[in-house]
Amino acid sequence: MEQSSDVGITALPPVLDLTAAGPLAADLLGRRGAPLMIDGSGVQRLGAQCLQVLMAAKATWAADGNYFSVEAPSDALTETLAALGAADLVFQSTEENPA
Amino acid sequence: MDPMDAIRQTFFQECEEQLAELESGLLAMQGGARDSETVNAVFRAVHSVKGGAGAFGLDDLVRFAHVFETTLEAVRSDQLVADAHVLKVMLRAADVLADLVRASRDGQVLDESHASASATELASLGGPAAGPAIADDADPLASLMFQPMMVEAAPEPDRWIVRFRPRAEMYAKANDAVMLLRELARLGPTSVSLDASDLPDLATLEPEGAYLAWTVQLQTDQPESSIQEVFEFVDCDCDVDIKPADAVMAEEPAAEVDPNADVMALIRSLQAEVAPEPEPAAIPEPILVAVPIPMAAPIAAAAPPPPQVREEAVAPKPTIRVDLDRVDRLIDLVGELVINGAMLTQRVGEAGISRASAVTVALDELEHLTREIQDSVMAIRAQPVKSVFARMPRLAREVAAMTGKQVRLTSEGEATEVDKTVIEHLADPLTHMIRNAIDHGLESPDVRRAAGKPEEGTVKLQALHRSGRIVIEVSDDGAGINRAKVRESAIAKGLVAPDAVLSDEETDNLIFLPGFSTADKVSDISGRGVGMDVVRRSIQALGGRINIASRPGKGSTFTLSLPLTLAVLDGMVVTVAEQTLIVPLTAIIETLQPRAADIHEMGDAARVIAIRGTYLPLIGVGAALGWADPERSVTGGVALLIEGEDGSRAVLLVDAIQGQRQVVIKSLEANYRRVPGVAAATILGDGRVALILDVDAIVSDARGDAPFAETRAELGLAYA
Amino acid sequence: MTKTVLTVDDSRTMRDMLHLALSEAGYRVVQAVDGLDGLEVLKGEKPDVIVTDINMPRMDGFGFIEGVRSDVANRAIPILVLTTESDAAKKTRAREAGATGWIIKPFNPTKLVDALRRVAA
Repeated sequence: MEQSSDVGITALPPVLDLTAAGPLAADLLGRRGAPLMIDGSGVQRLGAQCLQVLMAAKATWAADGNYFSVEAPSDALTETLAALGAADLVFQSTEENPA
Repeated sequence: MDPMDAIRQTFFQECEEQLAELESGLLAMQGGARDSETVNAVFRAVHSVKGGAGAFGLDDLVRFAHVFETTLEAVRSDQLVADAHVLKVMLRAADVLADLVRASRDGQVLDESHASASATELASLGGPAAGPAIADDADPLASLMFQPMMVEAAPEPDRWIVRFRPRAEMYAKANDAVMLLRELARLGPTSVSLDASDLPDLATLEPEGAYLAWTVQLQTDQPESSIQEVFEFVDCDCDVDIKPADAVMAEEPAAEVDPNADVMALIRSLQAEVAPEPEPAAIPEPILVAVPIPMAAPIAAAAPPPPQVREEAVAPKPTIRVDLDRVDRLIDLVGELVINGAMLTQRVGEAGISRASAVTVALDELEHLTREIQDSVMAIRAQPVKSVFARMPRLAREVAAMTGKQVRLTSEGEATEVDKTVIEHLADPLTHMIRNAIDHGLESPDVRRAAGKPEEGTVKLQALHRSGRIVIEVSDDGAGINRAKVRESAIAKGLVAPDAVLSDEETDNLIFLPGFSTADKVSDISGRGVGMDVVRRSIQALGGRINIASRPGKGSTFTLSLPLTLAVLDGMVVTVAEQTLIVPLTAIIETLQPRAADIHEMGDAARVIAIRGTYLPLIGVGAALGWADPERSVTGGVALLIEGEDGSRAVLLVDAIQGQRQVVIKSLEANYRRVPGVAAATILGDGRVALILDVDAIVSDARGDAPFAETRAELGLAYA
Repeated sequence: MTKTVLTVDDSRTMRDMLHLALSEAGYRVVQAVDGLDGLEVLKGEKPDVIVTDINMPRMDGFGFIEGVRSDVANRAIPILVLTTESDAAKKTRAREAGATGWIIKPFNPTKLVDALRRVAA
């Protein structure tokens, strides 16, 4: 991981409800162009709109050819993602994007 | 207490408040108020009664309130004009509602016909027909459930495909796909697949837009309605499609429900050169708004947050509920404090300390302070007369309906305060006076029209404070007292001599005489053998007075004057057979020195005294109570001309007058037992117990109505 | 974690009933007596759910919901409307104002807690 110094790291806030979607999207957009590791350990609640932001970011990073991951998800995050049918958001690197 | 019982009690208390609100609102509307606040308050009152009644399963109440509410809703939404007729019907309905509330509270069964007649009357006013109250509310889901009658025959399928696509509006209302998916999962095992094919790239994404859709395979033993119920809150803001799994399999390729569909969709969207148009977002970008405003702190400092008492935020003044016993205990103690203070003052005086000394000055201050405490404590028991006045409009309507008269009752000074006990005793006399004013005072509409008056008569109820007493006036704009008829009637009944010369005022006051009634027939309203004499008696029992002023053709005004409290009394302190007695000042008309020449023996130890040409019974109080020899000389004593509660006069003979003072009333019944001839007791400054004379009992005893043999023995033992 | 519910109702009876049912279900309950009072409470409280009546003096439920939704900090709080109205108009208006869902009166504690769970797990 020689490029690790360039990897951006950010942590998700505990509450990702509809009011968090805007700030989250803005924050992530500001980190575009560099690999990004997101710490999901502090998440207590996730709404569908923040999921949209995260999924769009993941796809955008993939299109840019950059590394993107959501890691160390809290139990609440894991459970909510499973309920939303989006369990594959975490632990899935798009480093080797087949496209 | 069971918490539900406590809430039930709260409910009925609140109902009373709402009923009062309802009535005053309707009366305000009758007075011309058409503002939406009044109409809303009226609607809310009925609505609130209905809501609580539903919670306690009081179906009769709910049913009636529902019909009433529907009519009010029609008024509120301008579909029905609240004209005089509509308001009359609604006022009657308010009375029925009140009856239903009270019947429910007391567990009584009310005559159905009243409620149903009123409900019919309400319904006949027009406006939209009331739907059934119970059926809808008892099963709120019934109206939301589809009734697939044709499918009903077939067994419910147990596998479902549920597809839903939320719109931004759904999220804006704090609903979330997560919740919907969790609820579906509660119905049975689910397999969820996410369709992100519409998701744009991050730069073009509206953070609060809606791009995702879900397909859920659900296996459940629940009916389809349970699945629909999951989407109950969001069905307008979310496309929902619920189908049995078999049907979906048959009509669509399996790929649609491929669990990997979302991944494929995602990949497809990533491959797309141009991101699809995002759905129009209803919510503006919030980031700018979230920037903290530097002015916030000084503004917050300038306007401190309100106190934390949330419960009473609506009420301008906070209140607490206190057990009445505690207040009465406090009043007792303050009464004793007053007595103790008086004793102390007396002792200091006896000790020969100068009136100008520091001790005396301090004592004066203490006494002043004690009086203030006493007034403040009495004020705790004070209540606005509104609680009694509020009952009168209904009464007026009922009496008007029975007598065929038209009446408008107005009231003033409802906030005037008076002791709770006085209030409790005020309702009956007031009820009677209002009845009398409408039944006897007001003319029938056609007579009024002929006299050039409006057909609708006015009865005015007014309360005010005047020189330490409360004055209540009941006035009508009716015909006034028919003095010729009153006089004729009084003569016919032997109440006055045929040749008596009476002033107008004296004639008017004849109606207070026992046994007087001008009504040719005893009507159901004013009747029941009760006349104004009863009113006068009950007012006098409260230490009050009643007067009448009448102008022919213009109307009559009855004026009641009552003490503000029944816990203290203005009394004349007198000596009888070396005992100290208190005679209530309200009973005393004047004091006089009897001359032997004015006193005449009337047979067996009965005596009369001539005062300004009339002969009045002379009663030796000491003898009446059995404390003194009846044959004792009457001269040298003092005579008190008194008027009993029934208006009859007599002269009481006492040994000496010590003075006048305010005394704290102590019930003998509570502390000892009831003693005929004695109303209560008090404690004097020197610590002696003094009895308060029951003037009426003494007078009627002297007339031979109720001998006091027993009392005499009793008091003889106790005080001889 | 204990969830907080703000109840907004001008009727003492209703407030008491909500308090009883919700505290028995393990919620912390904060009360307000009408819409204006509710907005005032929200300056110092951040409830997980709001349960509000519609017909109230000073500020009714619709005004209150609009007030809550217009505040960025409170936009995400689920709001349940208490209503005896089964007619669609009331619900539509509440929804337009931004209500999340509704509870039809009379409610039993199970129904109440169910509705809360549906909007704020």
